[in-house]
Amino acid sequence: MNGVVQAASRVLIENWRNSYTVPAGGLYPHQWSWDSAFIAIGLRHISPRRAQLELDTLLSAQWADGRIPQIVFDTRRDDSYSPGAAFWRSELIPGAPSVPTAGLIQPPNHALAVWMVHQSDPTESARRRFLERAYPRLARWHDYLRTRRSGPSGLAHVVHPWESGMDNSPYWDAPLAAVVDDFNGDFPRPDLDHAAPDQRPSNAEYGKYLSLAARYRDHDCSDRDLDHRFRVEDPAVNALWARSEIALAEIAGTIGADPEPHRVRAAELRQSLESLWDPTIGMYTARDLVTGQLQPYRTVSGLIPLLVPGVAHAEELLAELAGPHFALGEVALVPSHDLTAETFDPSRYWRGPSWFNTAWLVAEALHALGRHEHARALAVDAAASAMQHDFPEYIDPHSRAPRGTLRFSWTASLSLDLMTRIAPQAI
Amino acid sequence: MNALNAICVQEQYLAGETMTEKWDLAQSWGFDGIELRGKGNGEFLERLPALKKAAAAGIHMPTVCVEMDHFVGDFDADRRADALSQMTDQLRVIAELGGRGAMTPASWGMFSRRLPPFEPPRTPEEDTAVLVDAFGQLGATAQALGVQIYLEPLNRYEDHMINRLEDAVTLIKTIGLDTVKIGADTYHMNIEEADPAAAMLAAAPYIGHLQASDSNRLEPGAGHIDWALFGATVRAMGYTGPIAIESRLSGPADEALPLVPPLLRRHL
Repeated sequence: MNGVVQAASRVLIENWRNSYTVPAGGLYPHQWSWDSAFIAIGLRHISPRRAQLELDTLLSAQWADGRIPQIVFDTRRDDSYSPGAAFWRSELIPGAPSVPTAGLIQPPNHALAVWMVHQSDPTESARRRFLERAYPRLARWHDYLRTRRSGPSGLAHVVHPWESGMDNSPYWDAPLAAVVDDFNGDFPRPDLDHAAPDQRPSNAEYGKYLSLAARYRDHDCSDRDLDHRFRVEDPAVNALWARSEIALAEIAGTIGADPEPHRVRAAELRQSLESLWDPTIGMYTARDLVTGQLQPYRTVSGLIPLLVPGVAHAEELLAELAGPHFALGEVALVPSHDLTAETFDPSRYWRGPSWFNTAWLVAEALHALGRHEHARALAVDAAASAMQHDFPEYIDPHSRAPRGTLRFSWTASLSLDLMTRIAPQAI
Repeated sequence: MNALNAICVQEQYLAGETMTEKWDLAQSWGFDGIELRGKGNGEFLERLPALKKAAAAGIHMPTVCVEMDHFVGDFDADRRADALSQMTDQLRVIAELGGRGAMTPASWGMFSRRLPPFEPPRTPEEDTAVLVDAFGQLGATAQALGVQIYLEPLNRYEDHMINRLEDAVTLIKTIGLDTVKIGADTYHMNIEEADPAAAMLAAAPYIGHLQASDSNRLEPGAGHIDWALFGATVRAMGYTGPIAIESRLSGPADEALPLVPPLLRRHL
């Protein structure tokens, strides 16, 4: 694995934009929420200070209601990504920050990232009062999930596929089928300048994406639109929330705040995740809150609860990971969707390709569970696959062919983290 | 981690009558080598016999940095010619010592576009012609001697010609000799580069030498430069050459300088 640290560092240095890292130079010209958290986890090995700034910048775009927005826009690049700042018009929405952002959210991996960045250089973190600054913002972010996005189950729901970070997962097929594409207007697809159409969501999906986003925007992103047609509980979103509550407890304890409420919340979330367990497929899955139906698909999202210490079905998930549906060690990384499913597509975004952030999450979970050999093997696989094709956004699980864009920031950062921390002897 | 980059200290900080005494002190402070200072009037050339003995004794002296009041980009043709002659001597000496190269800015303290009278007596095109000629000659000499000439971009208040790494890259491409390299200094980059790490990476194939000072010109660690990022960038560039300390000091040398090698090595 000679040179992976240097090569990954080059990607991260090149993709830095004054106070944050773009996910990729061309396709994604703004700051994305969960990307930044994943990027900071690797950036801390290059510069703890820069990793802190990455997260400080994101958290400074927090809305008055506590949400951390999906995208913080660079208005100089508003023609390069759709929908951009001109679509969201966040300056007209009460409670939006002074910088233009999207109104949606992304999975809450931020407290975990903040804690890991702190751990990389506690002295520098303390000198800059990083945790003291981040903690109240993270606490308000989690409060937003609890008070604005959670229902009787205690789990947070997403109001748009984009909020899951796994935009075209099969989880959304049925919920989206009930959504009418009533978006009036052209929608540019600058993403297709950077990736082949068969590797990106289709136009039909995009029309519905924009319909949902426009409706949410036109209700001032208030979460009070009871007729919003897309409300789904996703296992990865909630597993990351639970894991981040544990990190928030660590942060609270470090700065003299009370960690107990976060531990309690993490335990409650771990328990609530059981409502997403689908015994018919033996995995966690998503629940459409509009119909009440679980979505009977095996996706990588359903494996992410492995990250939650003490989760009830860890053994079943480990067996599932190694079995024919995800074939750990036999295919590249962890496929985003069941290899044996009719809906599996090895090239199309979150319907089959293997991604480096989910590989990191699974490797992290395996590491924490004491499955060090499997964690190391996955770490080495991720770094080797990243190096082989210049840090692709995602790869074909069978052929390992690169998909999407290249020199993708979280592919670089998480390869760097995996090789530095989980498989250092392989460097 | 790697131990590829020799951390060097400039000789003026080292008390001692002889190079051996200076070297003992440098080593006791944790340095791997000494960066020489190249005075004018033939003084540096006169040191050759003593420096050869020092090199034979195993003292590591990979580079020399010019210390004169006129430079190869001077407005005055006679001073320019003398600077060229002195730099040629420096290249000869460093080659005799088995070193890597000699470092000079285009000029220092001669003119700044940010200070009155704002407009220099030469046009940018004339400046470029002078520098292409001077560094072209020095590059050819360096090539013959098996060493390199390092062009140091200075901040806007200290020189008006070459301020950014990008400026130096443009000039070096015009000259077309791979013995003309950049000597990049973190203090000047901190002022001139929007993103020093990205600038270093972009100019990596042209960088032959590094000098490290903090944001306030004091020794590394005494200001606010992100040394972790600097170290990661050096590694990402694949740069394996020396890193020399040319700084003012925040306190007595024997207190300030021993802190520097561990700080830099921590991140290299």
